[in-house]
Amino acid sequence: MNIRSQVSMVFHLDKCIGCHTCSIACKNVWTDRKGAEYMWWNNVETKPGTGYPTQWEDQDKYRGGWEKNSQDKLVIKSTGKARVVPNIFHNPHMPSMDDYYEPWTYDYQNLFNAPEGADQPIAKAISMITGEDIDIQAGPNWDDDLGGSEIYAANDPNLAGLTEQQRLQLNSVERLVFYYLPRICNHCLNPCCVASCPSGALYKRGEDGIVLIDQKRCRAWRSCVAACPYKKTYFNWFTGKSEKCILCFPRLETGQAPACFHSCVGRIRYLGVLLYDADRLEEVANMPDNQLVEGQRSLILNPHDPEVIRGAQSAGIPDSVIESAQQSPVYKFVMDWKIALPPHIEYRTLPMLFYVPPMSPVIANFEDGLANHSMDSLFHGIDQSRVPMQYFANLFGAGHEGVVRYAMGKQLAVRWHRRAETVGDVDRATADRYLHEADLTVEDAEAIYRLTSLCTFEDRFVIPPMHREQAIEMIKDPYEVKAETGFGFVGGPQRGL
Amino acid sequence: MSSRQSSRHLLRLQPLCLTLLALCLALLDWLPLGSGTASAQDTPDFFRQYCVSCHTIGGGRLTGPDLKNVLQRQKREWLANFMMDPRGVIDSGDPYALKIFEEARKVPMPNLTGMTRDRVEKLLDLIEAESKLEKSQFKGLQISNKPFTDEDRSQGRELFLGHRRLKKGGTACISCHSVQGLPALGGGRLGPDLTKVYERLKGRKSLSAWLVAPGTETMQPIFKTHPLEPDEIHTLVAFFEAHASEQPASPAVNRVTFLLLGLVLSCTLIFVFDSLWKQRFTGVRRALVEQYTAKKPNSPQEH
Repeated sequence: MNIRSQVSMVFHLDKCIGCHTCSIACKNVWTDRKGAEYMWWNNVETKPGTGYPTQWEDQDKYRGGWEKNSQDKLVIKSTGKARVVPNIFHNPHMPSMDDYYEPWTYDYQNLFNAPEGADQPIAKAISMITGEDIDIQAGPNWDDDLGGSEIYAANDPNLAGLTEQQRLQLNSVERLVFYYLPRICNHCLNPCCVASCPSGALYKRGEDGIVLIDQKRCRAWRSCVAACPYKKTYFNWFTGKSEKCILCFPRLETGQAPACFHSCVGRIRYLGVLLYDADRLEEVANMPDNQLVEGQRSLILNPHDPEVIRGAQSAGIPDSVIESAQQSPVYKFVMDWKIALPPHIEYRTLPMLFYVPPMSPVIANFEDGLANHSMDSLFHGIDQSRVPMQYFANLFGAGHEGVVRYAMGKQLAVRWHRRAETVGDVDRATADRYLHEADLTVEDAEAIYRLTSLCTFEDRFVIPPMHREQAIEMIKDPYEVKAETGFGFVGGPQRGL
Repeated sequence: MSSRQSSRHLLRLQPLCLTLLALCLALLDWLPLGSGTASAQDTPDFFRQYCVSCHTIGGGRLTGPDLKNVLQRQKREWLANFMMDPRGVIDSGDPYALKIFEEARKVPMPNLTGMTRDRVEKLLDLIEAESKLEKSQFKGLQISNKPFTDEDRSQGRELFLGHRRLKKGGTACISCHSVQGLPALGGGRLGPDLTKVYERLKGRKSLSAWLVAPGTETMQPIFKTHPLEPDEIHTLVAFFEAHASEQPASPAVNRVTFLLLGLVLSCTLIFVFDSLWKQRFTGVRRALVEQYTAKKPNSPQEH
């Protein structure tokens, strides 16, 4: 066993209101720079929708992630030793500027400086790439709340396998439905971006599993941009280096939640550390699609198990981190309750950001022009929800409904339980029947309710002590700089070698 | 900066100082300052290494004149000056120097490094002593007089082109030289065109002698450690002899061929890569929008 720790995340989609506060917090802290204007390390997508960059989930077009070759071996889909040669000057599977969007600002000065005339002066849109006037064609959340849904929502790759009727239902007026999917880097256990980098500039931090790009070693090959199936590495055209979400590690190291977590209005985000067995990574990444979710869970170790604790201690994980892992809200969601699921695990990068799938609204019937929400029971069954189960299965279960159905069933049971507790118009026996069906005890249902609805800041973010003083010893000797002043001159990233 | 730190800086400098000192010592050792220590065998070796490719003592002229009794033909002082700086003396317009320059078909004697006053005197002593002998050790090399066959010529061509490696590992001629009749790109342009070299060096004997120990600044460092074998010299001379009748390749024509070939090749590459990356300007989003507008031509374009 080779135990390592990984800072992991859970996003509870039912609580996301799509306000983009997380995106703005991230933009203001990290990507408000020249060359980074188009980057959204954190973005919020409307689903069904094509997201940012457009149709990032369509790996026939972008060829991100891993695939199994004819010898049943796991290989990077975007590149290879032979394929890299003809594509050395141009990787054909990268998102174009148009697939992200051309960033723009407005000519506000014109409002003050325009010569006197008959008309009100306006602030024209100006491209942040060319500085010229721009006819805005797309944006990072262009299909927000189903805007342009006939182009965007209708081409959501997750609609694969849905019947014509189910698609119509998703689109039809007064029946349509959408929810939000906030995305950051998943800090995967088997990161394809790291594996693809010809310069060895990407690495997964040993002490906490954060995936980073060394700005000094990056040589602008952009292999990571093509390889990441979530399209969460971005190329900075000004510095000539690739960049990505750093999980606000400078904030984590000082015990603060990442900016997007901290600013989240809906309090949908949870962060905590997980212990996992790195020796079994390859075995799990090679499992068949329908076993991947369970396989990834089998990697994650119980931090209360004395044997795991001993193993972690001998692997050099500090006791404070093990204690933090025992408090981790992510462990509860993913392992205790199994209601949080990894996005698109069929890309086989083993993402460590998990989503609690949303309970979509009830399907109403129209009778005599009036919406009729009355139905057999108070809460509709998960199969009656407007978003078909197959859709969630495509997004969270590698096409298989089982794990999604289990997670949704539990959430539904918690609602029945709380209705019986707080309102009382549901009898206890019905609630218990639902709990039993969903494989849930009253205590667990209560714990889910507390952590999802009444959670405090400390409940949501259990940030492990980063022990930088120990981590730095892995790469340099701190005594070398003892009695000297400062850390030398830190320059920004620069184009070139 | 505290005194502790400055002393530490000095300590850091210590290895540097030691290295510098060692370098100086090595330089002293290497420089030919201690010429008094040169052994008796030193001067004949020097002559063999640097002079025999152009000169003999009693063996007739090669590229340069026969040096037998040279001290009777010219004053010792003049000879010493010439040996130390042949080019300088020729450029100064000295009539005797110009005469021998003409006789050598304007192949100038190279300025040799290590040609000190002391060395020159010793060389002149050696030449004087060898001139008195019946049969000098520098009478000339035993160049075979076998007639050249077609096989010699074709083998020489293979050696020139580098198809066959030189036995001692020397660089193939084509890397620096060209001759008439090579394939499109020709040979190297660092050294002169060798089409007429057989004529220029006055035939078989002097060309063979030249190849025994090539004396120019560029060739000497390479062929000093990787000399040509006698049979290699034989075949190469056969090859050059066959070429002597041809006209040297025009450098202008060569350059134009090179340029044209380069242009054709880059155009081909551009087309190849263009066809490989045909899809590079068609993004994903634009295709979706175009697909939608094509389906519904009457609807306003979605922005």
